[in-house]
Amino acid sequence: MTSLILALVFGGGFVFALNKAGLTKYHKIVNVFRFTDMAVLQFMMTALVVSMLGLYGLRAVGLIQFPNIPATYIAGNVIGGLIFGIGMALTGY
Amino acid sequence: MKLILNYIRKETWSPYVAGVLLGLVGIAAVWASNSLLGASGAFENIAGLIGKAVAPAAFDNLYFNFIMPPGITYGVMMLVGLFFGGMLGAATSGTLKWGKKDAANSDEQWKRIFGPQTWKRWALAFVGAIVLEYAAGIAGGCTSGLAISGGMLLAPAAFLFIAGMFASGIITALLIYRGRY
Repeated sequence: MTSLILALVFGGGFVFALNKAGLTKYHKIVNVFRFTDMAVLQFMMTALVVSMLGLYGLRAVGLIQFPNIPATYIAGNVIGGLIFGIGMALTGY
Repeated sequence: MKLILNYIRKETWSPYVAGVLLGLVGIAAVWASNSLLGASGAFENIAGLIGKAVAPAAFDNLYFNFIMPPGITYGVMMLVGLFFGGMLGAATSGTLKWGKKDAANSDEQWKRIFGPQTWKRWALAFVGAIVLEYAAGIAGGCTSGLAISGGMLLAPAAFLFIAGMFASGIITALLIYRGRY
């Protein structure tokens, strides 16, 4: 039960950050593909660097264990990514 | 303190600040509940739940039995949180358009490219969302669940996905914005 409430909070924090970075708007998403507004990449890469450092650091001192890492199957990941990009540029999700 | 409150009220933050916030949320999610952020899986959990009730035979397959079991999962609760988190973000910056006339179609750039009709916006969003969800099913996650959450664990799958996403996204944007690039 507590984990479900935590899920609510984390989901909320996640989209709050997205919203404040402007990524809930169509033009922000599409413009990264047109190379006119790099906010998506700036946002994504900052998040990646911060959480990578935090997670690997916390694991190194033994405070956390990693959850299941998303499975690698090259064809699925690449083809899924290719189709996903089409939808992303169309809807601005 | 006042400075922070004023910053929260700003409509658009620096993407670096927002990125740091998302990174911290991602760490907290792993720390507190040993799980990753994600959005697309929850739709499949809900679809499975409806499908099992409406057409049990069609949904009695490997995918819905084992890979994406239906039910009110952690991901579904997160999806509810996503909705309210987005609302909170808009409300704090004063751009919440609940019940206002242009709420359903307010993006100037979209109107310039596709025209001002609201039904077009909705139709394209619907079709595009089907494409997105289908692709997320193939790849094993979406931008949040695979690219960001997987990327922060340095999963190879995430970087393959990002590469594919940008390759076809750039091509699609090129086609849509022909001559107006």
